[in-house]
Amino acid sequence: MADTRTTAYAGSLIAIAAAEGALDSVTEEFYALGAAVEADDQLRATLSDPKLPVERRAQVVEDLLEGKASPTTVALASMVVLNGRGAAIPEISREVGRIVADEQDSVLAEARSAVALTDEQINRLAEALSTKLGRTVTVRNVVDPSVVGGVVTQIGDEVIDGTVRTRLNQLREAF
Amino acid sequence: MIPFMFLAAEEGEHIAENAFWLPHDIKEVFWGTLAFLIVMGLLWKFAKKPGSDFFAKRTATIAESLDAAAAARAEAEAERDRIKAALADSDSEAARIVEEARRSADALRGDIATRAERDVTSVRDRAEVDMIATRSQTEAELAGELSRLALGAAERVVDEELDDSGQQRLIDTYINNIGGRN
Repeated sequence: MADTRTTAYAGSLIAIAAAEGALDSVTEEFYALGAAVEADDQLRATLSDPKLPVERRAQVVEDLLEGKASPTTVALASMVVLNGRGAAIPEISREVGRIVADEQDSVLAEARSAVALTDEQINRLAEALSTKLGRTVTVRNVVDPSVVGGVVTQIGDEVIDGTVRTRLNQLREAF
Repeated sequence: MIPFMFLAAEEGEHIAENAFWLPHDIKEVFWGTLAFLIVMGLLWKFAKKPGSDFFAKRTATIAESLDAAAAARAEAEAERDRIKAALADSDSEAARIVEEARRSADALRGDIATRAERDVTSVRDRAEVDMIATRSQTEAELAGELSRLALGAAERVVDEELDDSGQQRLIDTYINNIGGRN
């Protein structure tokens, strides 16, 4: 469960994105940014480095998102970093996805894969999960090369693991 | 006196020949007898006591010698008995020492045998434990090595096989499996 500050930041981002009429794109792009920060230790360390001026840290994020995200997403991400909360971007992005899914009366599912899922695959996965859970599921894809192959999906506390990484770990434990 | 007796004997022969045993001169008999008595009196007076003393001393000396000899003999016999007893004691002491030494040797041999057996058992048990541990460790290392080799081979296969189409197949299979569980 996210803390109060994280939830407040998430709510503010959603309000601004909704006001700008870019809630879906901001939600998706911010989620991708959160996944990137979570997967990159060096980037996370840079964003939380107190010796580095926040302006410099914000510039790092802006350079990272340049050409890959909407101006609204870039501005919101920069604002978070300028407030000294750059290291919390993964938690904030996850909270944004959860709140948006809640508002759409659905549940958020995070699907990690070694390569990006196509829209068709995301829709099929969402449909399969919705059928399984009996409620609408919103799937957010996070590209994570460490899974090697396949997909692992987390919905709340439930994990559905179909990754090659897990199969290899099981093989290692079998010995 | 002896020469006198010889003289008397000779005179006897003469007497026998003449059938008269006294000298013809009676004065000679008188003076001879008188001299004899004087000599005997002098001897009685002056030699009796020293002679008696001499014989008494001699007797005492002999008696002392006999007593000393008897005492020496008794002492020698006592010493002999003591030595015999000591010899008997030394024999029994020697036998006791030998017996004690034998018992000590038996006990020591028993202790040594027990200790040696215990040591052998301990060494054997330790060797078995070491062997089991070594075997377990070797098996674990072998299993780990096999695991690493198998995983390395699997990862190489995965790297080679998981091109984009392989990734898509895995993703589609995953989604289909979730759909199939419903």
